[in-house]
Amino acid sequence: MSATGATAQLARRRRRDPVKIGLGVGGVAVLVFLYLPILTMIAYSFNSGRVLVVWGGLGTRSYPQALANPALIQSVTTSLQAAAGSSILATIVGTLLGIGMAQRRGLGSRVILGLLLLVLVTPEIVDAVALLIWYVQVNGPFGPANHVVNYGLVRLWFGHGIYSTAVVALIVRARMASLDPALEEAAADLYAPAHRRLRQVVLPLTMPAVVAGFLLSFSLSLDNTIISSFVSVAGSTPWSVYVFGAVRNGLRPEIAAMSTMLLLLTASSLALVAFVLRRGGSSLSGAS
Amino acid sequence: MLLLIPGIAYLVLFFLVPVGFIAYYSLGYKPALFGTVATDRLSLDRYKEALGPTFLATFTNTLQIAVIGTLSCLVIGLPVAYWAARHLGPRSRHVVLALILLPFWTNFLIRTVGWVVVLAPGGWLSHLLQAAHLTSHPLDVLDTRGAVQLGVVYNYVVYMILPIYVAFERTDPALREAARDLGATRWRAFRQVTLPQAAAGIAAGLILVFIPLCGDYITATILGGAKGNMVGQLVAGQFLGTQNWALGSAVAMLLVVSVLVVTALLAALAYGTLALLRRRRRVVLVTPTVAVAHA
Repeated sequence: MSATGATAQLARRRRRDPVKIGLGVGGVAVLVFLYLPILTMIAYSFNSGRVLVVWGGLGTRSYPQALANPALIQSVTTSLQAAAGSSILATIVGTLLGIGMAQRRGLGSRVILGLLLLVLVTPEIVDAVALLIWYVQVNGPFGPANHVVNYGLVRLWFGHGIYSTAVVALIVRARMASLDPALEEAAADLYAPAHRRLRQVVLPLTMPAVVAGFLLSFSLSLDNTIISSFVSVAGSTPWSVYVFGAVRNGLRPEIAAMSTMLLLLTASSLALVAFVLRRGGSSLSGAS
Repeated sequence: MLLLIPGIAYLVLFFLVPVGFIAYYSLGYKPALFGTVATDRLSLDRYKEALGPTFLATFTNTLQIAVIGTLSCLVIGLPVAYWAARHLGPRSRHVVLALILLPFWTNFLIRTVGWVVVLAPGGWLSHLLQAAHLTSHPLDVLDTRGAVQLGVVYNYVVYMILPIYVAFERTDPALREAARDLGATRWRAFRQVTLPQAAAGIAAGLILVFIPLCGDYITATILGGAKGNMVGQLVAGQFLGTQNWALGSAVAMLLVVSVLVVTALLAALAYGTLALLRRRRRVVLVTPTVAVAHA
């Protein structure tokens, strides 16, 4: 028998392998499971009935209805504003923290790591009630007395930023740990002062981690429901809190329509990001 | 050092101090019908109240849901992670990974509401099951514990799949092949060679699923109804409903402490198993397994 014949036979036997088939079937089943509620929501966005759960015939009525509902539009805008603000906050503070931790090793760094892990381990509900108490206590910029910025948004920014800051700091720190310290030392030998080393050497090298951290923070903020529902105030209710309220007061097909539109928006912006990353990939990955 | 100041200030001011307030308030009491908390007399009475029979039942219930949910995620997630990391070609592997991650980008709440639509008595699944004569009456799962269990597994299984996938992907297939060549059965090669190498990923997955599951409040409220079977709902109820901040704080403190204890136990268990496995293994791997510490 020729070698190619033997390989083909082996491949055939491998294809009929029950373990492989079982794993494949299981894997596909899990994928179906993951998409079941999402596909259901998309399908039910074409429900022309009045109640989301009860199918009332095919129709696209819910889309113009969703776009004409000011409270719904307002909630999506708030969500985006909250996500933008909190992820910028978390990215700046977290990146500095991550770089700072990587640069100095020792007790201080370990204490901060402990604090970050504590932030990650604490259940969100505890964070949420703690912030509720805190905002009432501090009031100031987080209460109605603040006329400079929308205090509802400020509450969301600082609330969503906590967990994200810890995540960004850990990602950046891990990236820093994999970098060659000789690069920064070389810059120092060439008389670059600390702030220039940071701006021209360290930051460009950690950029992939910073970008990943930012994207993660943004999506974490969009998803956030627990902290939001505790600290948000009327007039700046994010999308998830709006939906959470709708669960109690009656779900309507508009919600499915809006979430389908948001899904399309997310998918297209993800595709755009992937495209940009691929094009600019050389400048980003060249750093590693 | 300058770099650390904003981060430390932020986390101390918006995390440590507020959580400190919870600890402080948990020692107080509810002064009157319209008051939320008073701290002129400090006592441990709220903890006694929180550990009373009704609340304790909720704690046990939460722990049950969390443990069953975490183990279900492991049982579902481990084979999927193994399949994606070891049985797929590089191209389809990336497609499957993207497919697993994509649901992440739709809102957590929308996905949970999606289950409400799927499981509703008048929903399509109910009609389908009745049409197939699998049941004679409409589906009655919503507002039960089963729905909550399903919902939490759905919402957290991805956190289990990803770290285990990464761990399996890093394992060297040559080691498994060597074991097979030396006469190990498939199962034995998996159990004694491949699985131990993924132990760190499994430990990370268990922790990543268990912690948010313990504090879950949204999934339980949407799929389990207003009955409040989980500690998270209990805390929320004391703050938003009953307005008894002292009791709510005590329950929150108990939640934090139990999560910390269980996490520490899990981590110790994982380390112990890893150390034991390393000692028993004849071939010692020198590849460092530091992934969890940074995850």
